Amino acid sequence: QQKTITGKVTAEKDGLPIPGVSVTVPGVRIAAQTGADGVYSISVPSNTTSLTFRFIGYAGKTLPLKGATLNAQLEEESNSLTDVVVTGYTTLRKADNIGSISTITGKQLENKPVQSFDQALGGKAAGVQITIPNGVLNNPPVIRIRGTNSISLSSYPLIIVDGVATYTGDVSGTSAPGNALSSINPNDIERLEVLKDAAASAIYGSRGANGVIVITTKKGKPGKAVVSYDSWVGSTKARGLPELLDAYQYTDLKNEGLRNAGTFDNTNANPANRRYFALSNDAAGNVINTNWYDYIYRTGYSHNNSVSISGGTESTNYYMSGSYTKQQGIVVNNDYTRKAGLFKVDHREGKIFTIGGKISYSNEENLSATSTGSLAGEAFGTGGLGRLAIVTAPNVSPYNNDGSYSVFNATTIGRGANVGSDVGFYNPAAVLNLDRSNNEINHIQSNIYLQANITPWLNAKSVYGIDYIFSDNDSFANPINGGSAASGGSAAESLNKNKRWVLTNTIQADKTFGEKHNFSLLLGNEQQRSTSLGFGASRTTLSDPAFNVFAAGYATPAVNVANMGENYLVSFFSGLTYNYDKKYYVNANVRQDEYSAFGADNKKGVFYGVALGWEIAREKFWSKIGLDKTFTSFKIRGSYGTVGNTSGLGNLASYSFYSTGLYNGASTLVPNQTGNDQIGWEESKKLDLGFNFGILNDRITVEAAYYKNTLDGLIYNVPQVPSAGLPSTPQLNIASMYNKGLELAINADAVRTESFSWSPSFNISYNKNEILSLSEGLTQFIQATSSLESASISKVGGPLGMIYAVQTAGVDPATGRRIFIEKSTGRKVLYQQVAPAGQFRYSYEDGTEARNGISLNNDGIPYKNTQPKFSGGFNNTFRYKQFDLDLTFTYQLGFYIYYGTNSGLRDQRFWNNSTDMLNRWTTPGQETDIPKIVNGDNVSNGSSFPIDINVFKGDFLKLRSATFGYTIPKSAVAKLKLASARLYVSGSNLLILTKYPGSDPEVSSNGNSVGGNASPGVERNSVGNGRAFTAGLSVKF
Amino acid sequence: CKKSLLTPESQTAVATLDYAQFSTVGRIQGQVLGLYAGLRAGDFYGSRYLIYNELRADNFLAQSSNSVTAYQTYNYTLGNGAQEVTDFWASAYSTINRCNLFIDGMAVKGVSVVGADLTKNYVAEAKLVRAISYYSLLQLYARPYYDGLGSKPGLPLRLTGNSVAGNYDLARSTVAQVYTQILKDLNEAETELPLSYGTTAVTNVTRAHRNTAIAFKTRVYLTMQRYADVITEANKIVSTTAPYVASSGVSLALQSDITNVFKTPYTTNESILSMPFVTGTEAGGGQSALGSYFFGVKLYSLNPTGIIGDAGYKATDRRRSFITLSGGLPYMSKFPTLAAAGYADYVPVIRYAEVLLNLGEARARSLNALDAQSIGLLNAVRGRSDATTVFTAASFASPQALFDAFMTERNIEFLGEGLRSPDLLRLGLTIPGKGNVSAVPASSSQYIWPISGTELLYNKLMTDN
Repeated sequence: QQKTITGKVTAEKDGLPIPGVSVTVPGVRIAAQTGADGVYSISVPSNTTSLTFRFIGYAGKTLPLKGATLNAQLEEESNSLTDVVVTGYTTLRKADNIGSISTITGKQLENKPVQSFDQALGGKAAGVQITIPNGVLNNPPVIRIRGTNSISLSSYPLIIVDGVATYTGDVSGTSAPGNALSSINPNDIERLEVLKDAAASAIYGSRGANGVIVITTKKGKPGKAVVSYDSWVGSTKARGLPELLDAYQYTDLKNEGLRNAGTFDNTNANPANRRYFALSNDAAGNVINTNWYDYIYRTGYSHNNSVSISGGTESTNYYMSGSYTKQQGIVVNNDYTRKAGLFKVDHREGKIFTIGGKISYSNEENLSATSTGSLAGEAFGTGGLGRLAIVTAPNVSPYNNDGSYSVFNATTIGRGANVGSDVGFYNPAAVLNLDRSNNEINHIQSNIYLQANITPWLNAKSVYGIDYIFSDNDSFANPINGGSAASGGSAAESLNKNKRWVLTNTIQADKTFGEKHNFSLLLGNEQQRSTSLGFGASRTTLSDPAFNVFAAGYATPAVNVANMGENYLVSFFSGLTYNYDKKYYVNANVRQDEYSAFGADNKKGVFYGVALGWEIAREKFWSKIGLDKTFTSFKIRGSYGTVGNTSGLGNLASYSFYSTGLYNGASTLVPNQTGNDQIGWEESKKLDLGFNFGILNDRITVEAAYYKNTLDGLIYNVPQVPSAGLPSTPQLNIASMYNKGLELAINADAVRTESFSWSPSFNISYNKNEILSLSEGLTQFIQATSSLESASISKVGGPLGMIYAVQTAGVDPATGRRIFIEKSTGRKVLYQQVAPAGQFRYSYEDGTEARNGISLNNDGIPYKNTQPKFSGGFNNTFRYKQFDLDLTFTYQLGFYIYYGTNSGLRDQRFWNNSTDMLNRWTTPGQETDIPKIVNGDNVSNGSSFPIDINVFKGDFLKLRSATFGYTIPKSAVAKLKLASARLYVSGSNLLILTKYPGSDPEVSSNGNSVGGNASPGVERNSVGNGRAFTAGLSVKF
Repeated sequence: CKKSLLTPESQTAVATLDYAQFSTVGRIQGQVLGLYAGLRAGDFYGSRYLIYNELRADNFLAQSSNSVTAYQTYNYTLGNGAQEVTDFWASAYSTINRCNLFIDGMAVKGVSVVGADLTKNYVAEAKLVRAISYYSLLQLYARPYYDGLGSKPGLPLRLTGNSVAGNYDLARSTVAQVYTQILKDLNEAETELPLSYGTTAVTNVTRAHRNTAIAFKTRVYLTMQRYADVITEANKIVSTTAPYVASSGVSLALQSDITNVFKTPYTTNESILSMPFVTGTEAGGGQSALGSYFFGVKLYSLNPTGIIGDAGYKATDRRRSFITLSGGLPYMSKFPTLAAAGYADYVPVIRYAEVLLNLGEARARSLNALDAQSIGLLNAVRGRSDATTVFTAASFASPQALFDAFMTERNIEFLGEGLRSPDLLRLGLTIPGKGNVSAVPASSSQYIWPISGTELLYNKLMTDN
């Protein structure tokens, strides 16, 4: 017996009827569609109890039948964002997820004064620590998901954009970094998922150990076209720069240093032997008193404009956006420009097939005059701008009084009236104005897919995607002063092509048996192929100084550079989820990867993850004891599995190689790589235990987790006996380490009334990292910053990357000498730069010589940890009528930073100093922490080797961003024929609570570099993060 | 899925599977030249061996205190971890391992590609490079041979190639054992090296031929104070009377003007073996090139109280043209090519003038007399640069005075060529002080370098000096 049901389906948002909605009876093959007026009629068996409504772009809904009429209101999927999670190859109802996955909405990332979305992720998700290592535009942030999970390979997560694993990291070859992820206009991001545990990441197999970030870009929704326009303008400025001596103070202190060293001499009959510092006048007769910050830093102005059109019919939808942003950094001539476009279309053909794809293209220009000294490896560069700003003497000018550049010789600035000593390295104005270290990226990300919904419960999908990056480097160093001036200037050009394709085929079956047994099975195969090719040339000795491009004339012929690489990954994977009555959950993933970079005997790896979950709130006893009144849901979950890490593994690391060279013009062939044919992935065994609950109808949700990642087979470059003469240090899968910790995230709709709402969210993560073993017999290793200063040490039994420093015990009040602690004896050793006859440079308190002196090798200790124990964020969103306010705080606690810059700020060579030095020791009995100044002394304050007084607590709380907005009332915008309009002002890095004396406790000289894992928390001559203000407008038509 | 993509082959380097590096004549020849390229490394004989052995001694004064440019060698403050101590060690042993790998691979595979005769030639070149490498290491890291007749700790003696990670713990052989191996290599090289590479002068200078092995043996035996053996070897390539020339193999002889030896094309028949550098493509390193230390960057000036202050070293001596004044200080301009031209001076390893002086000194010392041929050899070297000085037996009050004259002559003739410190050490002489650096007697621990700190750290059987 049949009955007929009728009703109308409307959109929840605007109450308009939705045509083409499919209306079905669950479990039965009966279907109807709504007409143009949203009305449907369906004949169903009389025992039917519910109907399901489905329409593309809207969340499906199943409603109980209570009579012959059933109306439905469907919610747009964008509003149901929080009801699902994207797990990579598939999507799950959030309620059915038992993996450890954090979701971040596109809204949280858009319209921020950043170059790429990842810079805005800080504090947004528990267990995700984002560090912006410096204030240079478009450098990739350091992302750590649940700690640092590798020693020698990358600890950067796998990033999937619309199903395609994308390139990551700095893809520029110059001093202007180019983050591969910045090609994505943040406003195009619909949502972003962070997969943290094995249950979630095992489906990515050999690449999941560092966690996975899955990005889904926006797509069109059926209905009238929506045009969105977003625009902001802003300014950014350096903050927290150290206060330096001015010309008068500099001249006095440096002369005092010379006198204390006994080398001050302004009267010598032979002028060549005179040595002193002196002021001089500019053309107008004023004393030259240069603040180098004025030349190197600036207020940078930026703007961003982005427009999108989206819409669709019931069968076809589209999304198209274009954006243009031009941003200036806080360092002069550090600019970033992006022109980007995204076009996406999805089309349903008949009942079975869906076809679609996207093309995203960006052109980015990363510009910098020269090295900022802030990128990995640049910290000690002679011309690093961060360093030039603090080193160069304030009593000289960059220009001679006739307006020409003041130079002493090719590599040093003119000495002004100072005699007998350099007063700086490169002339900052010359290199800033004349040099170029630029990069241009053309980035194409595209995919096309075909999906077949073979039956309501079975679908198959094939996706073919490409990710192409063409990175052009263009640099020039002038012939007047700077790095190439000695050889008459130089220019270099190089192009790197990185190309990747990914083909993914999946079949997914979702079926419910006996109403309560819910199964979902995914089977897939994926191939990924990446190739790279680079070539370039450099030319030196410019023929005519009027020109500065590569194509101009040069005396020295081009020196060519070239490189190439390739890798290939073939995978099969499967995921099975099952739940009984949405109460008991089991979920298992397995993936087999074959990867070309693995050793000949070790090509194949199998990875898996298993998870169990229990939704207690659906148990009868739960409601019996009345807990259902408080808890909407309460889920306990646990997972275990193994995943791998290959990121950063050389394409051909398994081979031993001979490479070619030259000997008097003829080819040579010499050993150059010690391979390891057993090399494979690093293994991460991930254990995750947690619970989630929602209270008061999910007004408050809480997620808590305990995790332990045990990392085995970590690749370590195992030092070999030098006399064995191997050509390189072989990489062995030999070290082990763990990260364990706790995460807590709380989200609340604390207040929600018609006119006022307040939604706070808070997350905190605790992480402990410990190295369990390196290689046989090896108990520690030291990591240098910029291959020069060994400020980082990692010991078995301790965390990766502790600060390696010599201990001190203040300044001797009697003599003003720095007191060091000799490690082997614990005795105090006093240092003096110039030892009078009968005294020693290093002596004990009794005046006898400390024969071994003080060195990092003999006296350094693993001093403090650099990895934060706690990190997280705190976000508040308020809305009062038309006004909204959003405050995002981030914090990191329980760690230390080696402020190496400070040692330079107190170095007693010609370097300019911080105003701290005004408190120097001058008279016997004086208690101060600044030693007597003696010219040439680079030991007492830590330039020569790291010392404990330059180590500071890094704990900070940052008001990372604050946004105040006003939404123009609907009635007003309607008159302007607008759907909505909002104006806002925003600030970032507004407030930093920290005891760290440097410009920014987030700074890191080693960033994402190889070796950066083992040397975090080191600041050496970097440019810190600026403070930005923006004002913007968002309009929808 | 394409299986072949899973086993990519390098398009830019030769993988060692199935000895592919020995699979063609070209690759084998490339490896032979690669042995010399190892010797030529800036950290090794391509400059720094000469620099360290000069700066340890008394002829130079530091104008910089940069430890990257050998200041700690200069003032004897080196520790085990000093860059020069670890890097020179690593670079020399890397070259030794290249030789070992090559000798092993030629036996397994190479001989079938190039035939027995060429294999002999090539392996002999490898042995010669290995011998020079061990000899160079001994001069810095081991007590001189005279001290206990080689019974002191020498070097880990490695004679087979290493190519994979492994346990390479190995104790030091004695100094004598290492010298025995050096001589064995040189003797075998002598019999198996080609007489010459034809008329291509540059090849005769940049690769080893039979006379190279013989010449180097005169140096080794002199270092060991085995004077009779020096004479035996030298007589093979030095005629008994002036003009002294080699009668077989490459026709070695003195240049009439020494400055010809140190300028383009650097391929005179006085240069027995030199390391080539080429502007643009094979430039010397900025912080390792001879030209940057002594002339270009002016890191070290000549010590006015060193050999250039010697009264017998006349102002008209042609060799004084290698001294250039700059800023009031004397600098050595024997290697004058600057950075812009890639510091492309050839670096001398051994030249014929040394063989003559080796022979002359050995004759004088073994006879303990004012030997006429000795004096003739001394005059040959002195005379071509300073015609106004002619030594006769009457010039010397005693045989010792003749020995001293040889030391002085070597000091003048080889200034900057890295022989000074080994010359002092082989006789156990005190290294004279200079500037504010004190003299170092033979009994001092600073008389030789400490052992590489990384070797001590990872080689469990290694011992320090």
